[in-house]
Amino acid sequence: MRPIILNGHERALTQIKFNRDGDLLFSTAKDHVVCAWFSANGERLGTYHGHQGALWTVDIDPTSTILATGAADNTIRLWEVRTGRLLKTWDFPTAVKRVEFNEDGNLLLAVTEQRMGYLGTVVAFNINSDVDGPQEDEPIFKITFDESKATVAAWSYLTKFIVTAHEDGSVATWDAKDGSFIQRVQAHEQDMLITDMQMAADRTYFITACRDKTAKVIDVNTLQVLKTYVTDTPLNTAAITPLKEFVVLGGGQAASEVTTTSQRQGKFEARFYHKIFEEEIGRVKGHFGPLNTIAVHPAGTGYASGGEDGYVRIHFFDKAYFDFK
Amino acid sequence: KEHQEALARRQLIEQRKTSAEEAIIKKEREEQQQRMQRQQEIAEAEAKRLAEQQKQRELARMKAEQERIRKEELQKQLDELKSTGKLDVDLTDLSDMDAARLRQMKLQQLEKEKKELAEKLRITGKRVDHLERAYRREEVKLLPKDYEQ
Amino acid sequence: EEEEDDIDFSDLHEQFEVQMEEGLDAFVVVDGLPVVTEENKPKLVKFLTKRLNEVGRAKADQIFMPIDEATGKSQGYAFVEYETADQATAACKQLSGIALDKKHTIYINKLTDIERYGREGRIDEQYTPPPKEEYVQQEHFRWWLSDINARDQFIMYRGDNVGVFWNKKKDTPEQIVDRLMWTEMFVKWSPLGTFLTSMHPQGVQLWGGQSWKRIQRFYHPYVNMVEYSPKENYLVSWSNRPISLPDGPHPLGPEEEGKNFLVWDLKTGTLLRSFANLEVRGEEEGKRKVQWPVFKWSADEKYLARIRPGQAIEVYEVPGMGLLGKKSVKIEGVVDFEWAPETVKLAGRKDTEQLLAYWTPEMENQSARVGIMAIPSKTVVRTRNLFNVSDCKLHWQSEGKHLCVKVDRHTKTKKSTFTNLEFFRVTEKEIPVELLELKETVINFAWEPKGDRFVIITQQEVPAGVQVGAAPKTSVSFYGPEIKKGSVGNFKLIKTIDKKNSNAIYWSPKGRFVLVGTVSSQQFFDLDFWDLDFDGEKKDQPTDVAANLQLMNTAEHFGVTDVEWDPTGRYVATSASMWKHTMENGYHLWDFKGTLLREEHIDRFKQFLWRPRPPTMLSKEQQKQVRKNLREYSRVFDEEDLYETETANKEVIEARKRALQEWTAWRQRTEKQLREERVA
Repeated sequence: MRPIILNGHERALTQIKFNRDGDLLFSTAKDHVVCAWFSANGERLGTYHGHQGALWTVDIDPTSTILATGAADNTIRLWEVRTGRLLKTWDFPTAVKRVEFNEDGNLLLAVTEQRMGYLGTVVAFNINSDVDGPQEDEPIFKITFDESKATVAAWSYLTKFIVTAHEDGSVATWDAKDGSFIQRVQAHEQDMLITDMQMAADRTYFITACRDKTAKVIDVNTLQVLKTYVTDTPLNTAAITPLKEFVVLGGGQAASEVTTTSQRQGKFEARFYHKIFEEEIGRVKGHFGPLNTIAVHPAGTGYASGGEDGYVRIHFFDKAYFDFK
Repeated sequence: KEHQEALARRQLIEQRKTSAEEAIIKKEREEQQQRMQRQQEIAEAEAKRLAEQQKQRELARMKAEQERIRKEELQKQLDELKSTGKLDVDLTDLSDMDAARLRQMKLQQLEKEKKELAEKLRITGKRVDHLERAYRREEVKLLPKDYEQ
Repeated sequence: EEEEDDIDFSDLHEQFEVQMEEGLDAFVVVDGLPVVTEENKPKLVKFLTKRLNEVGRAKADQIFMPIDEATGKSQGYAFVEYETADQATAACKQLSGIALDKKHTIYINKLTDIERYGREGRIDEQYTPPPKEEYVQQEHFRWWLSDINARDQFIMYRGDNVGVFWNKKKDTPEQIVDRLMWTEMFVKWSPLGTFLTSMHPQGVQLWGGQSWKRIQRFYHPYVNMVEYSPKENYLVSWSNRPISLPDGPHPLGPEEEGKNFLVWDLKTGTLLRSFANLEVRGEEEGKRKVQWPVFKWSADEKYLARIRPGQAIEVYEVPGMGLLGKKSVKIEGVVDFEWAPETVKLAGRKDTEQLLAYWTPEMENQSARVGIMAIPSKTVVRTRNLFNVSDCKLHWQSEGKHLCVKVDRHTKTKKSTFTNLEFFRVTEKEIPVELLELKETVINFAWEPKGDRFVIITQQEVPAGVQVGAAPKTSVSFYGPEIKKGSVGNFKLIKTIDKKNSNAIYWSPKGRFVLVGTVSSQQFFDLDFWDLDFDGEKKDQPTDVAANLQLMNTAEHFGVTDVEWDPTGRYVATSASMWKHTMENGYHLWDFKGTLLREEHIDRFKQFLWRPRPPTMLSKEQQKQVRKNLREYSRVFDEEDLYETETANKEVIEARKRALQEWTAWRQRTEKQLREERVA
């Protein structure tokens, strides 16, 4: 499994995303640029310039027409994928930590940061799929968190719920029509920040990655924890693989959090676990720093990881992977 | 007029004579040159031949030396192999031995040694464990009595 | 049923139980508050909230301060609900006893504690000291020896938890008990493994039996160290701080004031005697750290001795604790002494006495000297003079058969040092001494337990001022006695391995196997596993020494700080303790061959200690019988092991099947629902 290494970012990666066909990969990093890549050979398709701060998040609509990005410059921006044209900018009082399209691509949610005087929120926007048409200025609703801020959020199947994952280790669901509260569950250890949440292909369940060193598979409807994957390092990211019943986890202690910068202690590997049996299957080494983000190819033929070291590594699985029972 | 003719003829003769002489000198010079050139060529060829010969000799010597070193090295390694364990093949003729084969033999030998060590240690390990367990099994029978004390 | 009749905070057993109670454990009761009117109540509540939130989160509306209807005033207490039980615990620990203002000191208890103490009229208005606990052996303290699978136990102290586990080799250790805050400093097993010792600011507690209940406690404020007698009948506790008797009730008498050492009878819990630290002579102050143990027990536990440096050895008779013969043994200049670890019978003597070895340095017109003294007679049975001595270390072989004195010597010019090893054959007639002269300094020496071979680590001397930085390379040497027609001859070198970084030697407690490694080093972490009786292949070895050395494996454990063999010599645990550094704390478990069975990285890992075992109850004859029939036992064990692996495999497969079925069922349900909702 020889990786393709994408060397286009100068700072730590924050999020990577495949498009629905899996031929394109989008990446955001703490530098101010969004990159688009051909996943098959790692060639760069282009970059999207305009953000004035570190980028935190990226998502692509199902037709690969519109790209949404969120950044520390307190904006969400919409881009035309093909031309790199800026379509819309929404301004906020705080940084935008996560954006995500629903499965139809007609809605976008965004998680905004909590900062002095401003509570964390989740906002939802209508999206006009016509790139030459106008986009609405105001969100259709806003969820405000006065207890514990949301760190990540996602849309469920049929755009039924918005699921939020929080700083305090809890997850919650909200009605996707009006943002009204449905339920909250303390899925992870108390006060352990949930760093990532990714939906399964059909959006009926999702995986969370948490600083408590575990990842969990959770039912969207009941918020019941179905599976727990125990590791020995704080996790930054987790993804569910289609095709095979696996999950991929990534994390590692940041150098600043470790008393000594021993590379050995970093545990900068992508870890594969059996989704149903909760057992570790294997690890993929390569990054020099913690893994910040993992995305799985929608066809289940490979995955990509983005690290604190500024690299993106795309791996296509070899035969042994598909043979694994 | 006649005199003039005679004069002219003499002059002509004189001229021919000179040119004939010149031709001879020229020819001689040319011949000399050619001779010298030939000699030089011969000398060069000889030097080249000698150099070639020398080179060949040197090559042969080096090859022989290399072969000697190789054989020596092989012999040394073989001796080492022989001394460390049970080398099955008896090799007196080293000419058809090459380093690759030797290395392979060496690897096999190491592999064999490793296997043997592992097997012996496995047996030791089993013995150590079973002995402890056997003692304990007997000891357990004595425990209730110990409690009474 | 254990009586809970004390108010000692160290009663952790109770604390532990409290944590099990659900629901109420985030509630605390704050007592000692000012009595205020309804009017002033909000002000007090606000003020109190501020204090309470120093350790957690309690909202003003979660503070319930009852008002007495008759007086219309508050009653000096309040109930408070914290967010979590941990915060409530923190409040009890950190806020209880603090002054709220000049007149009021608040006391905080968990509601669950009040319930506990308050129930059944347990609270007396007057404090009555608890009745002396009688030593009643209610349960078999040696229950753990009866494990049918001959497994051993170990303790792990990590974070604030202390747990005892069964060793399951490569599988997750089976937890027997795990308690939060079981100890407050460190844990220690008693020498025969009967008791688990926990250390608290109030004193020492001993735990054991299958219920892990408290068996004994010894009150000793700010205790730092404990030392058991070899047969677990006595205990010495020590605190660097001289005892200052508290005002309240406590079990110590006025004669304990200012003392540092307390000697206890373990079974009855009675104090036998107390001692103060000896004053350190001016010149040595600061130079020497506390050498523990200070008080050393003779093998038969009849004597307890300590050194009065430079002057004498004080030998006390146990349990009377009087000085043997009413006076100490004067030995001018004495630096150190060690008891023989077993009672040794000297050749040509009918009676047996306890032996102790000591040494004195060079003094005016007298050479340095090693002596062996018999106690109680105080007769010196052997002395030996030594010259140009810088330092001596006394190493008894585990059965007391040999005494090795490691003599660090210097040349006359004092420019270079080297080591001599002086071997005293204690059991032989006249105690002959054999000298082994080395060119290097010996940095470590270790006898094979119950054997007569030893390992040394030597280091070439580094000329002063020549080099800085990396420590010089070391050499590891194995020695054994020469066998001459069945009799034991002189010690001979078996093998030396050069260019090592080793600094530590760990023999299997059963002998034969030894781990030599580099421990607590910044750069090297190697572990070499040796067998001294490797089967077969005898021809390359010197035939005249009873050893066949084989390196079984070389391994590494990054950051290793501690190495411990299990008491049976089958396993070794290496650990990286946060007390030394914070890199990759945790433990590795190996078999004696150096095969890694298991590794676990555990944050804030502190201690890994195998539970010691008492000596075998089998007679020599019984052991021989077992060895003879080992083949038959082996057959049974092989079958048992095979059965176990098969069942284990089966269980794994079953568990997976179940997991798969559950998952598939859930998926089908969910997918059906998804289809239905999509249509709707």
